[in-house]
Amino acid sequence: MEKRAIRPFSGDTVTLVLMIALAAMWILPTIWVISLSLRPNMDLMRSTAGLLPIPFTLQNYIDIVSVSMTPRWLLNSAIVAIGTTVITLIVASLAGYAFARIAFPFKRTLFVFILCGLMIPEQTIIIPLHAMITDWGMHNTHAALIAPRVAMPVGVFLMTQFFRAIPLELEEAARLDNASRLTVFRRIMLPLSIPALTTLGIYTFLQAWNDFFWPLVSATNSNMYTVTVGLSSLQGNFAQTEGLGFIMASAVFASLPVVIVYVIFQKYIVRGIAMTTGK
Amino acid sequence: MKTSLLAISALAVMVSPIAVSHAAEELTFLRFFGGCSDQYANVTDMDQAVGECGVIQVLTNKFNAENDQDITINTQNVEWGVYYDLLSTQIASGQQPAIAVMHRSVLPNFVARDLIEPLDDIFVEAGIDTSDFLPAALESVSYDGQIWGLPWDIHALLYHVNGAIMEEAGLTDAEGNYILPTSTEELFEHARIVQERTGKRYLSIGSRNDAMTARVFNLLMWQQGSGIFNEDLSGVQIDSEEGRVALEFMKRLYDEGVALPIHDGSEATQAFINGEAAVFVSGTWQVDTMAAHSASESSPLANYQVFDFPQVVGDTRATWSDSHMWVLPAKERSPEEMAATVAFLSFLNDNSGQWARTGHLPVRQSVLESEAFAALPYRTSYAETTGIAQAVPMVQNQRPIQDIIRDGLSAVWLGDTAVDAALSDVQSQVERNFRRVR
Repeated sequence: MEKRAIRPFSGDTVTLVLMIALAAMWILPTIWVISLSLRPNMDLMRSTAGLLPIPFTLQNYIDIVSVSMTPRWLLNSAIVAIGTTVITLIVASLAGYAFARIAFPFKRTLFVFILCGLMIPEQTIIIPLHAMITDWGMHNTHAALIAPRVAMPVGVFLMTQFFRAIPLELEEAARLDNASRLTVFRRIMLPLSIPALTTLGIYTFLQAWNDFFWPLVSATNSNMYTVTVGLSSLQGNFAQTEGLGFIMASAVFASLPVVIVYVIFQKYIVRGIAMTTGK
Repeated sequence: MKTSLLAISALAVMVSPIAVSHAAEELTFLRFFGGCSDQYANVTDMDQAVGECGVIQVLTNKFNAENDQDITINTQNVEWGVYYDLLSTQIASGQQPAIAVMHRSVLPNFVARDLIEPLDDIFVEAGIDTSDFLPAALESVSYDGQIWGLPWDIHALLYHVNGAIMEEAGLTDAEGNYILPTSTEELFEHARIVQERTGKRYLSIGSRNDAMTARVFNLLMWQQGSGIFNEDLSGVQIDSEEGRVALEFMKRLYDEGVALPIHDGSEATQAFINGEAAVFVSGTWQVDTMAAHSASESSPLANYQVFDFPQVVGDTRATWSDSHMWVLPAKERSPEEMAATVAFLSFLNDNSGQWARTGHLPVRQSVLESEAFAALPYRTSYAETTGIAQAVPMVQNQRPIQDIIRDGLSAVWLGDTAVDAALSDVQSQVERNFRRVR
């Protein structure tokens, strides 16, 4: 690929400067959060100004990792986030394929019905959902934390739209070669939908990892807390004033696995996003 | 009646050594106050407990270790911003804890929906002496003629003072204690003197998106012998002469630069600790924290002092208060479970004096008069607060109402809303909310 030199004051330079400025604006709050997490709580009661962690302490992180339940909470979050992501991808891709390609009675009505789920806020269904899981005796299990999150209308919608955009000829060619519907789905449609699956997977993983309210009400046993619920349970009543460093350290700590996942899968994530936008 | 029978059967089980000694009971104890079970793992020595979390955790450890009825208390700690959502959800789905903490200000909502048990009979049978409760404490757990909680503390607004600034301003007595203002004009005169002689602001108070706005408004209404509701709680009287005096007073604080309108709670705290303001309006819960900051020689918060809230308007001494209590969420309990629950409640009541170490006011007369309480730092300088503390009235939706007051009134100093318009707007919003639940 031919490399273009960036000339001073060219359009590229302006774009570059703008991008750097925007990136700085974007990253400054993150740097501030990290800096606050490395300062003593008592010091933060006096001032939260400044981007440098002076005076410096690791005490907030030591307070987190010295809690014996923290590894357990991380494991629970990993099980819930990975489980939710895998099951959502399976369900959404199968449902999306069916809605996009298979004719069946009441298809349109059912699709609209599923899309209606996008409009219902979580808080409105939390009590019936909680009562249902209570009746089934499932609270304080990983299944209870995963199951309600698998019904993701946005996933079905995304996959349906993606499958609709794939040229019908590709599928018809395979069907002429006597491939079954399942084979077509597995061999043709799924490989073609990797960009959409990647996007949906990232979205689902982040949603499940950061989820707070459902794990809060479902997991009453501290052994079943996810990392978001577990770390918040350590906060005192006036943490925003008296324990700001600890709150920030909790935020950084809980985000670390997500950042690591991003670093490892960065190439696929960027490619996935680029492909879904058609670039 | 159901509760009475439960209580009697519970006590019958309690006094039956054979039945109780064989019954291992595990109770869920839902609370906020922070999580520190690792820090205090197996600690039962109360002297080692520090702060709200430390005291309640060590008390729980102590009960688990020392009760001879094989009762285990399992704590479920929740961050208090989501606490009541969780409690409501648990009760609605039949997963309620055995014992839960509750604020007085939300009690009516839970009582009206039959979500918690009355405790009158249980107290009688368990020998919990309600006559030892301070009147304000007993009142804080009473609603519709019944007792609904075991009082745990009263937390009230105080006047936190930077003694060094006051001394520099010449506003202290021979012993170096700040001489509190006794009227509106005196307060503004003090503010002018502090500004002139020290260059510091007089007051630091959470004024933006902070519950302190509603608390202080309530306080100023009470100091005029009024309140945001009329006496029989049948109507709202925010848009009244007393309301106008209260809001004009608050507006003047900002207009004359006595306090900064843009400070939220954390910024107000910072300003006081940094020695930028001479007075900090906050609660009992800040006493130990401020004392700790003041203990450092380099701290700008020098010679920390704390006082009962002064009477600055009207002719009635009053300060705002709320309280914590322990309640029993309504559910079917076996006699064994009820016996264990009552045993833990009795233990908490016997040890409620320990909680006073956190800065909160005690709920029992015997604790208030004890040498141990008098020996706690600063406590004697705000001992009268238990007598002047007034809690928000027992009406439904008290918390949303306080939010309406906070947002509506702060529009006066954060925007350009006129006092009359703000009072009228808040009055109509609170009335609408009030009508919905009556």
